Amino acid sequence: MNEEEIKKVFTEKFPEKIEEKEVFDFSPAFQVDKSIILDVCKFLKESEALCFDLLSCMVGVDREDSFEVIYCLFSFDKKHKLTLKVPLPRENPEIESVTPMWKAANWHEREIAELFGIKFLNHPDPRGILLPEDWDEGYPMRRNWQGKDFIKRPDK
Amino acid sequence: MKALKTEEFEVNMGPHHPSTHGVCKFVLTMDGEQIIDLVPHIGFLHRALEKIAENRTYLQYIPFTDRIDYVSSMFCNYGFVLTLEKLAKIEAPERAEYIRVIVMELNRIASHLIWLGTFALDIGALTPFLYAFRERERIMDLFEMICGQRMTFNYIRVGGVSKDLPPEFIPKAKEFTRIFEPKVDEYENILTQNPIFLERAKGVGVLPRKLAIDYSVTGPNLRATGFKWDLRKEEPYSIYDRFDFDIPFGANSDTWDRYMVRIREMREANRIVKQALEQIPEGDFKKRVPVLFKPPAGEIYTRIESTRGEMGFYIISDGTTKPYRVKLRTASFSNLAALPEIARGCLIADLVAIFASFDVIMPDVDR
Repeated sequence: MNEEEIKKVFTEKFPEKIEEKEVFDFSPAFQVDKSIILDVCKFLKESEALCFDLLSCMVGVDREDSFEVIYCLFSFDKKHKLTLKVPLPRENPEIESVTPMWKAANWHEREIAELFGIKFLNHPDPRGILLPEDWDEGYPMRRNWQGKDFIKRPDK
Repeated sequence: MKALKTEEFEVNMGPHHPSTHGVCKFVLTMDGEQIIDLVPHIGFLHRALEKIAENRTYLQYIPFTDRIDYVSSMFCNYGFVLTLEKLAKIEAPERAEYIRVIVMELNRIASHLIWLGTFALDIGALTPFLYAFRERERIMDLFEMICGQRMTFNYIRVGGVSKDLPPEFIPKAKEFTRIFEPKVDEYENILTQNPIFLERAKGVGVLPRKLAIDYSVTGPNLRATGFKWDLRKEEPYSIYDRFDFDIPFGANSDTWDRYMVRIREMREANRIVKQALEQIPEGDFKKRVPVLFKPPAGEIYTRIESTRGEMGFYIISDGTTKPYRVKLRTASFSNLAALPEIARGCLIADLVAIFASFDVIMPDVDR
């Protein structure tokens, strides 16, 4: 399907709580409210017309006043793409895990949880992944993170 | 005779086990020789490359991309540069695109040769390692000729490549493509139908296609499941649509198929290099790009087919000289995540063969 058709199918199914965004090379992109993320992902994966079977990438972003989790989806069958963006509040960021839909989300979510401090609810294996086991210096990928040996370069 | 009593026990494999190709720890729950469960522990080589990106300008970050996957650095260079070029709407000169394809495909051969050598070594065959490194040495010499480096090249730049090909490169590269084809036959003579190798590889570590897609396994590991999928053909980037090449794929998704796909891929890569060396035009090798390179504000996600599968860069630009966020989507990270599923129920000796056939490289996993 081309972008317009995906947009149509998607907005018809979820008329509320979504907003269009722009991501080059991986469009269309939608901002989705976190309360419907499981329904949206279930629909994207299981709908015959869309059939997004590959979770190519998951990105955590610190937007200074909020957080964002980004899902880059691809369909091998239909050869189309879609990006989902879910904003999360600065205080107590939480979102449902999408591991039931794509097992690939497991490690990506562990990474985002560890580096950004975003909590994934109902995650099957909520351990850390990249940092040392005795790490106690907070969430290093947050923009305002201050580590013991971290020196921020001055802006030119 | 009384029946022997067995009980489960835990074994730590790694972090410094010779077959983990880097630093990776598996905690194995064993019942005798059989694996009941496998938990990979990664992160020993985590260098915070994504954090470093936020603290460097775009052009300063290119040498860091070399370190993502040091065995196939050209792809990491190119993936990052391609993403920036798409974001800033820059097109590299035609000669530069040809040079990029030549170096990338040579790098694919070099990377597969390392894989072939270590894979054979892990299952107990020493000779292919020596053979593979003999040919890889020639490729390293070619790379040294063009950029002075044998690894971590920092060669592909925004708008082109850092230096033009020296005049002696093309004859040398042509000579390599000519001698390489019979060398692949040589590797195959040692391994492909070797009964000991077949015993170790056929039917071992089967990864069903549905599971592979569920775990986002890509690259040769996905193609070994019989799925003909290659971004170079499906979404041609650079000038890959100008070359005639096939996509090798397997049928049984076992260790032997993963071996066969990579062997055939080396032949196809060699074919691409041959064609590119014939067609390469004269002209500029680099477009002028300002030293303080500022792509417009926006977000982009671009994928390329690296040696190990899909390599993606998600870049958020806020219009300044530094990226706001760079996310590295590496193939090995997702490929390794699928390993526990297929290792369960295998013998510990087979785990070594399966893990080696996956071609996971640890700096690529940990970033």
